[in-house]
Amino acid sequence: MGRFIIRRVLWLILVLFVVLLITFILMHLVPGGPWDREKALAPKVIEALNKRYGLDLPLWRQFVNYAWGVLHGDLGISYSYSDRTVVSILAHGIPKTATLGILAFVVAQAIGIPFGVAAALKQNSAVDYASVLFSTVFASIPGFVLGILLIVLFAVVLHWLPTSGWGSIQQLIMPVFCLAALPAAQSARITRASTLDVMRQDYVRTARSKGIMESTVRVRHIFRNSLIPVVTVAGPELANLITGSFIIENLFAIPGVGRLFVQGIFARDYTLIMGGVLFYAITIALLNLVVDILYAAIDPRIRYE
Amino acid sequence: MKRKTFILSILSILVIVSLIFTSACSTSSTSGANSSTAANSTPQVITLNLAGENNTIDPNRASWTSERTIIIQCFDGLLTFNSDLTLAPMVAKEIPTVANKDISADGKTYTIKLKNNVTWSDGTKVTAKDFVFSFKRLFSPDLASEYESFYSDVVGGDAYFSATGKTDAEKQALQDAIGVRAVDDYTLEIKLTDSLPTFTQLLALWPVFPVRQDMVAKYGDKWAQPDANGAMPNYIGNGPFILKEWVQQDHYTLVRNEKYWGTKPKLTQITFKELTDANLALAAYKAGELDQSGVPGGTEQTTMNDATLSPQILRFPTLTTYAFQFNVTKPPFDNKLLRQALACAIDRSAYINQVRHGVGKVALSWIPPGMPGFDATLGTDWSFNPTKAKQLLAQAGYPDGKGLPELKFQIANTGANPTIAAFLQGQLKDNLGINLTVELMESKAYSALYNAKQFTWGFTGWGADYPDPDDWLPQLYMTGAGNNKTGYSNPAFDAISKQALAELDNTKRLQLWAQAQAMVVADQPMIYVFNRETFVLQKPWVKGMVTSGLDGNVAGDTFLRNVYIQK
Repeated sequence: MGRFIIRRVLWLILVLFVVLLITFILMHLVPGGPWDREKALAPKVIEALNKRYGLDLPLWRQFVNYAWGVLHGDLGISYSYSDRTVVSILAHGIPKTATLGILAFVVAQAIGIPFGVAAALKQNSAVDYASVLFSTVFASIPGFVLGILLIVLFAVVLHWLPTSGWGSIQQLIMPVFCLAALPAAQSARITRASTLDVMRQDYVRTARSKGIMESTVRVRHIFRNSLIPVVTVAGPELANLITGSFIIENLFAIPGVGRLFVQGIFARDYTLIMGGVLFYAITIALLNLVVDILYAAIDPRIRYE
Repeated sequence: MKRKTFILSILSILVIVSLIFTSACSTSSTSGANSSTAANSTPQVITLNLAGENNTIDPNRASWTSERTIIIQCFDGLLTFNSDLTLAPMVAKEIPTVANKDISADGKTYTIKLKNNVTWSDGTKVTAKDFVFSFKRLFSPDLASEYESFYSDVVGGDAYFSATGKTDAEKQALQDAIGVRAVDDYTLEIKLTDSLPTFTQLLALWPVFPVRQDMVAKYGDKWAQPDANGAMPNYIGNGPFILKEWVQQDHYTLVRNEKYWGTKPKLTQITFKELTDANLALAAYKAGELDQSGVPGGTEQTTMNDATLSPQILRFPTLTTYAFQFNVTKPPFDNKLLRQALACAIDRSAYINQVRHGVGKVALSWIPPGMPGFDATLGTDWSFNPTKAKQLLAQAGYPDGKGLPELKFQIANTGANPTIAAFLQGQLKDNLGINLTVELMESKAYSALYNAKQFTWGFTGWGADYPDPDDWLPQLYMTGAGNNKTGYSNPAFDAISKQALAELDNTKRLQLWAQAQAMVVADQPMIYVFNRETFVLQKPWVKGMVTSGLDGNVAGDTFLRNVYIQK
């Protein structure tokens, strides 16, 4: 197990290097640079700006310098956010984005999994139809539409919640719900399908025929085994939620990294883009590792040697 | 893995989550009304929306309107603008003129006397040295100020700014050679390489507001940045408000400068939020969280029809002109008759009335109404006239559009741009039977194409930095000028512009610019389409608001010091 984790982490370092290199190349291939504006800057101003931010060096030198910096924990400075270091920008944004993401994830699973299990156990019942309706509605409403509807209802009409911003529990409710809607719907559907599948397995029939109590069969034989596909999907889903949503953060004016990253791309803020990609890549890789470890915990047939 | 360790890891994740959560929530605090004066029962606080995020609020470095919005509350320059956009003295005792000898007879030396009662927010005096420092810093090659090029006429400025690769000693020598000095504590002398009468306007702009040398010496460029908690202890200004807090990507809190040297503002606190989503801003306005807000593009008519909102609409023209600009160096748009034909084929008032619900004003020439140089009679020859358009098209060598190559139009895919492109496409089809290929581009990709002059026909807008033809004509139409993307080159225009730029007699100067603008409009390197009108909602209790054509995203930001609240 320990060796497995070490091997995966070593691989991760190589993967991150390749991801950074590809991002760097793509970033410079895209037309338009940070100083391109409709109201043109004077050539002497562009020259001075390039010098200030080290963009006057040959591209390979810029990449080497950047990679060297990353090894020392220095992700450079942003040129569209007042020369703040990318490290400090991410340090400010990640806790907010991650809080939202983790809460949304918990809410999504807390709604989705029980709903899915209940629907499967009582197939073709009212609960089942309600689950299908719930999944279809929330899987098809785009986040920004749901967000605007919530804002109008709870902030403008009822005055129960503030429209937006960051700092209080009340301000979290609407964005968390918007973020959780789609994964909750997906989770309900996957759990339902996988539970139905497990219920028809031979070992469930065997367990029942041995006379084990129905509740034990449900918990130990059905529920636990039906979680495998749910966990598989949950890893990338959590990664997706933690890295933030541009639309939701923008709509609710949340100073998180999801919004920053997209704005960094629009502004061709090279260091911010690289920092964002690095954060994404690390999060996704680590959560995939966690999922692999969880498999072993849930399914006795899976072992890492 | 054992079940016990599994449970343990779940528990540890939960602990981490709760740690993150508590630390994230504790960093920002909500700012309420705090220091309302006992005498006035209504708290004099206002919440506005900046509608954008700032890069820098360092006066020497800033270049965007939303950055200017913050800076002008916290700093006073040598001169300022009145609400009619004429100049007024601020820290300077009077406006420099040749008549009062503050400008030398050759127009190259400015001697500006300063008021001796102007103080920084910490109580120390503002002297000529503070302006000298600001000017020299503006030209620093290491600072890379985007507005440096506006002040290129200052002796030695450009030489210092271009010294990017030089040694520190060489840079120091060049900095010392800049023609700005403090004759005494309250007399500032500025030397220019050429006579430039509109230099007085430049003295009213933020890049040369005074800057504290001690703060820059101590904190470097970070003097204008918040600390980890968002506080701005080093951002010392001489303006009516003090920036107390800048929580980045969230909000700014400004409080009244109780030691302000001039007439103190009535507001005790201004909060600028940074809500970038227009739908959210409107919802926040309706929920009472904002005192002023824009409306999402395209919803102006709905707002006007709304019984509650319509009395809260605040509308005023801003000094911005939008145009379809040609690359006149490449066929087919090197053909003047073709450009004129296309200009006559566009029903601009249909665009204003049907697409923009009457918000905006038809433009037929470049300089917008409300500032010197506007001429209502100019460009009427190229107003909407389909018959004339067809005649001109035939004269251009393309009767009924026959023989015309494919026309391509490039535009950044942002905001209402796709709508205006579709409008142009429809107009050419309906009025001339010509097909137009629209190429929507990502905005930076468009800017790159545009700056490299690789476009064929595009959409552009120009807003006033200062209200004078100097900011509108030479920059865009002189041969080879920085913002001349059309490739327009007219020796007669160049000659007249050079004369106008240096002319000290204001009447004569404006006459020269009138001639120059008439030349450009006749050549139609751009088809002028419309002037912008600001359309916002404002709560009825906001009183004393004075709007001007120079206002940025926040309506009335130029004169917030006059605003008060009356509920």
